[in-house]
Amino acid sequence: MGNNETPMLELVDVHKSFGDVEVLNGISASIPKGELLTFVGPSGCGKTTLLRIIGGFTSITSGKIILDGEDIAALPPNMRDTKMVFQSYALFPHMNVRKNIGFGLKLQKMPQSKIDDRVDELLSLVHMEGLGDRTIERISGGQQQRVALARSLALEPKVLLLDEPLSNLDANLRVVMREEIRSIQERIGITTIFVTHDQYEAMSISDRILVLNDGIIQQIGTPSDIYETPKNMFIAEFVGYVNFLEGKIESLDQESGVYQVSTEYGNVSINRANDKNLGKGDEVFLVIRPETVTLFPPDAQDLPNMLKGKIQHSMYAGNLVKYTIRCGDREILIDQYNPKDSIKFKRGDNIKFTIPSTVHALPKNT
Amino acid sequence: MAEAIIGNQYSIWYKIRIFVNSHLINIFAGGLFALLAIFLAFPLVMVFIKSLWGDDGFTLTFYQEFFTYNYYYWSFLNTMILGLSTMFILVVVGFCFAYMTTRGPNWLRTPLKICALMPLCAPPYIFSISLITLFGRNGMINNFFNLDFNIYSWTGVIVAQCLAFLPLSFMMIENVLNSQNPSLEESAADMGASESMIIRFITIPLAAPGVLKAALLVFVMAIAEFGNPAILGGRLPFLAPDTYLMITGEGDFNMASVLSVVLMLPCLIIFVLHNYILKGKGYTTIVGKPTAVDPKEITPLIKYFLLAIVTPVAIMVLLCFGVIVVGAFVKIVGVDNTFVWDHMFNMQSNAAIFNSVKLSLMAGLFGAIVGTLLAYVIMRGKFRGRNVMEMMALSGFALPGTVIGVGYIMAFNKPPFLLAGTIWILILNCAFRFLAVGVEAGISKLHQISIEIEEASADLGADFITIFFKVILPIMFSAFIAGFIYTFMTTMMSLSSVIFLVTPGFDLAAVYIYLTAQLGELGLASAATVKMILIVMVCLASLKLLAKKTGLKSN
Repeated sequence: MGNNETPMLELVDVHKSFGDVEVLNGISASIPKGELLTFVGPSGCGKTTLLRIIGGFTSITSGKIILDGEDIAALPPNMRDTKMVFQSYALFPHMNVRKNIGFGLKLQKMPQSKIDDRVDELLSLVHMEGLGDRTIERISGGQQQRVALARSLALEPKVLLLDEPLSNLDANLRVVMREEIRSIQERIGITTIFVTHDQYEAMSISDRILVLNDGIIQQIGTPSDIYETPKNMFIAEFVGYVNFLEGKIESLDQESGVYQVSTEYGNVSINRANDKNLGKGDEVFLVIRPETVTLFPPDAQDLPNMLKGKIQHSMYAGNLVKYTIRCGDREILIDQYNPKDSIKFKRGDNIKFTIPSTVHALPKNT
Repeated sequence: MAEAIIGNQYSIWYKIRIFVNSHLINIFAGGLFALLAIFLAFPLVMVFIKSLWGDDGFTLTFYQEFFTYNYYYWSFLNTMILGLSTMFILVVVGFCFAYMTTRGPNWLRTPLKICALMPLCAPPYIFSISLITLFGRNGMINNFFNLDFNIYSWTGVIVAQCLAFLPLSFMMIENVLNSQNPSLEESAADMGASESMIIRFITIPLAAPGVLKAALLVFVMAIAEFGNPAILGGRLPFLAPDTYLMITGEGDFNMASVLSVVLMLPCLIIFVLHNYILKGKGYTTIVGKPTAVDPKEITPLIKYFLLAIVTPVAIMVLLCFGVIVVGAFVKIVGVDNTFVWDHMFNMQSNAAIFNSVKLSLMAGLFGAIVGTLLAYVIMRGKFRGRNVMEMMALSGFALPGTVIGVGYIMAFNKPPFLLAGTIWILILNCAFRFLAVGVEAGISKLHQISIEIEEASADLGADFITIFFKVILPIMFSAFIAGFIYTFMTTMMSLSSVIFLVTPGFDLAAVYIYLTAQLGELGLASAATVKMILIVMVCLASLKLLAKKTGLKSN
């Protein structure tokens, strides 16, 4: 990934309108071979529409879809080398597991013995050996999902499309299945596009994430890019909890990349050598993730980036304690992990807390 | 409650009221069972008995006669052939229509649907009249193209039956196609299937159980219907008209009963298959994830193939209706085309229509009341035999009208049930034959009402009678109305049963149309039909309005 080869899939300025409603407003992205890219975004943002456009089930209003060098935008789905796993799995109820998986191969007029071998291979790949003769209504949700996956992989497509494949499963099964999907995908090395509204799912298995909202790409990057350096407030809030602290850049040192930011609670010094787009006098929002804040008792020694507050509320969750701190007239969420080995604060306690110097800053107008 | 010993301080009336309250359902159930037994089971039993009971007691000679004489053998065979050919043709045609209205170009869907459903607002035998007008000896098309086509033949009967029952096939198959999850077709396309492969491997196999049910129903309707085979059959014998001829021509009730039993058997078998074995079989695969979708285009080749089948049929339907309307207002259609009002204002015709309306209102009312009560008793009663009751209530629908008609003559022509010659025999016949819709509507409505509503009312102090009249009936009112309108509508149009039961002096529209058509008075037949259609259309419109306003599921 990230080499100079032709990308497996390229979206070039894709637009889609349904009547007067513009759903996709110029989507461009380049997906290298073997990558697992996840489309993520709130309901109605167009991620499923985009997936369906790649698959050929929804027509494109304008733009190009280039699969392995060929523009496929005008091709119907049965002539594209993409395969989709539908959210409802869309398994054929009148065929058993084997026949479902082998359906595409049968259409290719492959000889039956070869179909049988390939189906056996796939059953083994998705850990469904021995269940080939079951009818669809007699297998569980997780098993149906695996059959749908096997069926799509049977024809060895260039791109695999997964439309919220885990949303019909219960929470535990979801975690198990997403690991399985990821491991199969990595083993075969197939370029995959995954659609989900669950950001944790997206972050845990993706090579890169594409965040969609209002019909445009908000940001495309690795999970850590998205989480640690979101490009705007929507993205910052969409993925995980976040606290925003307003401030103004008072000074910056070009060499060391250290900015001094004044906030209503005090001065904060941040070290963002990579943020070339910020300058003196800019108004910013500091993006503070709850788990990056450290709590101290009120009599602790002063440290850089230390602010004062009062515990408003605490919630013990086993592996962490979630504190709500009142700081001025604002509330800040703080997650403190490993509570066993830390000081436990209670409601009403005055405390001090530090913000890390590597905190991300967003220009105010984003 | 009633099990507790009621102390002597309560008056006898109070005790009776408590008793009635707690057993009201069972009392009603008993009464309804009696009604069903007398007015559905008894006539049928009479038919069976008469087929086996001659002047000298139990005998099989009548059946022997049936199986020996060629004429009867052919009558039976012809009926089966009629049923099968109508069935096969309508499965194909119905599928083509349904595919076009569910997946075809948008601008075509509504017009095609209208054409496919038009025959619903007319009695099935109007197509005989239209076809005679077009292809009869002086038929418009025969004259225009100088053809010598004989409509009184297999072609005539089959075409008429196909046109008459097209809506039935279409509606059922359309329902099946609409309940298929579109992702299945998309998934198949994703696997590389072209549209024809999708139809072959996915659409048709998934639709098969539903299509089978439609086919069986069409078969039953085609063999049971009296009008078209009677009018267009020519010298071809069919069981339903032959039953009528047995009675009116030869007064032979025994043979008429044998013919009825033979006609009844396939219908009963299919009824059982339909409601008990095939019920619930089928693939409904709709799951909800609302995604905006583009309407998909049918491949041109498939589209033209479907159009080739669907267009001539649609044109035929329109032509038939058009010709009836024209024939109602024209002196002798095709021959003397001067505009006249005579046919429309004919006194006898209007008297017949008036009588039909009167009969239909009374049958509708009676049927709706019995139907609603039956629905309640079946759903809420706790006695054994509820399923039998439901089956009896629905069976009227499955049995050929001629069979019930014959049964009614034999059952009610002497005391204690001397009803022959009165309007009551007609009312009861129609009410009980068409109970099914009212009962099913009632049952479906009651499914939607939790029994807790009734329990809450009791908790608040209402006794059963109060609950029934103030809570249950108002809620079931829409089902009541649906049953009423449907019974009214079918009573207006039905011919097969009433033709046995009418008396001179009391003309019914359906019989009037049949007789005038037989006599070649096409103008009068057409006019009466137009009036009947108008009345029926009003009924259908109000049914639709009712369904919309009260959320009643359409059957």
